[in-house]
Amino acid sequence: MSTRRRLLLVLPTLAGLIVLVFSFLHLVPGDPVEIMLGEGAAPADLDAMRATLGLDRPPPEQFVHFVAGLLRGDLGQSIAFRAPVSHLIASRYPATLELGGAALLLAVVFAVPLGVLAATHRGGAIDVAARALGLLGICLPTLWLGPVLVLVFSMQLGWLPISGRGGLAHLVLPAVSLAAGMMGILVRLTRASVLAVLHEGYVLAARARGAPPWLVTWRHIVRTALLPIVTVVGLQAGALLAGAVVTETIFAWPGVGRLLVQAIGARDYPLVQGCVLAIGVTYVAINLATDVLLARLDARLRDAA
Amino acid sequence: MASYQGDSVRVNQSRWFALAIALAVGVGNGCGGSEPPAPGIVIALDAEPQSLDPRLGLDANASRVADLLHISLTRSAPSGERIGELAGEWRLEDPTTLVLTLRDDFRFADGTFVTAEDVRATYEAIRDPAMGSPRRIGLDAVAAVEARDHYTLAFRLHRPFPPVLEATGLPVLPAAEARAPGVPTGAGPYRLAAVASRERIVLEPNPYWPGTRASGPLTLRVVPDPVMRVLELRRGSIHLLQETFEPEILSALAREPGLRVRRSPGSSVAYLAVSHRDPRLADRRVRQAIALALDRPGLTRFALGDAGRPATGLLPPEHWAYAPLPPPRHDPARARRLLDRAGRPDPDGAGPLPRFRIVLKTSSQPARRRFGEAVQAALAEVGIAVDVRTYEWGVLFADVRNGNFEMAALAWVGITEPDHYFLTLHSTMVPPAGYNRGSYRSAVMDRLVTRARYAPTPAERRRWYARVQRRAARDLPVIPLWWEDRVVVHDAALHGFEPAPGGELRSLAGAELR
Repeated sequence: MSTRRRLLLVLPTLAGLIVLVFSFLHLVPGDPVEIMLGEGAAPADLDAMRATLGLDRPPPEQFVHFVAGLLRGDLGQSIAFRAPVSHLIASRYPATLELGGAALLLAVVFAVPLGVLAATHRGGAIDVAARALGLLGICLPTLWLGPVLVLVFSMQLGWLPISGRGGLAHLVLPAVSLAAGMMGILVRLTRASVLAVLHEGYVLAARARGAPPWLVTWRHIVRTALLPIVTVVGLQAGALLAGAVVTETIFAWPGVGRLLVQAIGARDYPLVQGCVLAIGVTYVAINLATDVLLARLDARLRDAA
Repeated sequence: MASYQGDSVRVNQSRWFALAIALAVGVGNGCGGSEPPAPGIVIALDAEPQSLDPRLGLDANASRVADLLHISLTRSAPSGERIGELAGEWRLEDPTTLVLTLRDDFRFADGTFVTAEDVRATYEAIRDPAMGSPRRIGLDAVAAVEARDHYTLAFRLHRPFPPVLEATGLPVLPAAEARAPGVPTGAGPYRLAAVASRERIVLEPNPYWPGTRASGPLTLRVVPDPVMRVLELRRGSIHLLQETFEPEILSALAREPGLRVRRSPGSSVAYLAVSHRDPRLADRRVRQAIALALDRPGLTRFALGDAGRPATGLLPPEHWAYAPLPPPRHDPARARRLLDRAGRPDPDGAGPLPRFRIVLKTSSQPARRRFGEAVQAALAEVGIAVDVRTYEWGVLFADVRNGNFEMAALAWVGITEPDHYFLTLHSTMVPPAGYNRGSYRSAVMDRLVTRARYAPTPAERRRWYARVQRRAARDLPVIPLWWEDRVVVHDAALHGFEPAPGGELRSLAGAELR
């Protein structure tokens, strides 16, 4: 599929996302204006505020208004924070990117070499340890892992801060917590992918030609095994964004995920829509980038395009 | 005017590579230290204040920050009485005119004096529906606010309304900024120094504060996770935590040598709301039976440890209008007899079939869920089956407001003005008009809360409110559960902080770390 066609497919994906978010949000009980003005607000004041915010209009009209604003680059005004949604998201987005990026990098840098080592030392101690680590990474929920890491590295050893965003030290524990699940998946996937090509003819041929083992591993084995890994990394990067909602809350990381949680609690429709849209666009962009990268890595895909 | 926009921090990609390298060589050596020490006293907030504009922010954290940055005409004393802050004294000139004489030594953080014109402009801005201020709710009785001279102010009322003093607790802003967007200048003990990434608010002493000046900066950090807040406190990276602690956690914190646990009477009351639209619960005998089936001292210990007291009504004993009442009784045998007399017999005696089944709605907080299960067990003893259903707060709130509940575990936070009884019990105060969530209707109670509301002198008000409380204890429009203490855990090095019943942090201005 060509890059242009992929880009065209992004549009209906985003349109579907917008429709779904808007529809579900208006099905959830709770009145943002009552939450904003307080329980004892006069009915006339509630009505006036609903009119000001456009919440007195029928949902389809609100949706058209929202989409029209979106096309103008206007995500609307936050009901709870009384500030432009785009400003709120812009102030939080870098923190989410920083955390997600660090977790992604961490997962790839640790998991791929570990998976390769596990496959090339199949049945050995490294393999057993890598598989166990992979299983743990998949099984341990962030809600549990985060506090345990804090207990060990912050409370017992005193090496790292507990929560908040600041220097590099602040990034370590949230990034490790967020990356753990992805690491587990990547270790196991890398191991399986490498094992699948380990005894291919071209690998044996390379060995027979006397190529050094590291060259055989990294040029002939890993390069071929990389395709499914890149695909899963792309998909998991989106999962990292979803996981950031929990991680950001645990570690007081001021990102879009935490903003989304607050917005849902306040029934802040415009802000929820904006946050979900920001996360959705990032997810779609990552997947698009993955597709493009795969096409570059795999000549068959490039030729098909 | 300061701006409450978070600083956007540039993402430095080199950090990511640095992180990988640091982890590769060992996190300990790579990161070495910990966060830079925050300046001054550091306290944790569970959520970001929705606004630092005191006209708009009404959530607990926004109110606490506003109280540090701004002054008001009067403040609430621990007894619920109003005591002067900017207002030195006040009197009723006639039944519909409240005249206040202002102190002349308060100055905003920019050095300008606070005058009656500033107060007038603030109140008129908040009263303007276009401002959309949630603080407008308490100003219905006010017809106009007049500045008679620099330091004399008059509230003109639509009609005599003794609880109007409660409305004098709004933050005072400079006249020039009263209608301007953004975070206005305040005249409180602190002024805003910085807001970093929306997770850290740094305040510094207001150099013009006429009282004891704060010894240094005050940092408010947002830490949403309760476990992390406690760990931060134990590690010493925050100095004060004020919230509802799980009893087990509080016991553990009390054993920490570097921490001090402080308990003081609070102004919050937990209660069971009952729907009077439900014919079973509209019967007073059934409500009395439910109250008798609950071991309220035991429930209080279960929910709060020793950080609460079984409640006899909405007002705690420290309140000026509190009327002493007999302690809640736990008498399941009498509860069973009352249910029999109410025509709700147990169909199979001690067998499994209940007299009736009822739904208890509560929030999804673990402590609330556990409490719901305790109520379920207690009412099962008298033959009432309870289905406990937990909801996210917004959903529960919507259900309660719409009367879509049979029983709900709720709380009133920060009751200072006893006119709360009118708003919660008068038959005209069913939402959206007021807070009578259970649609309780009683002609006798209507008359009592009305007389109490309009009684002209404090002595008369106290007398009428005593009758209201006795009537409420008999009629049980809601079932009071416990008065929650204000619990503060702070670093032993923090001296001079005094907890306030409503959770205000103003006394931090006189506190210091030694």
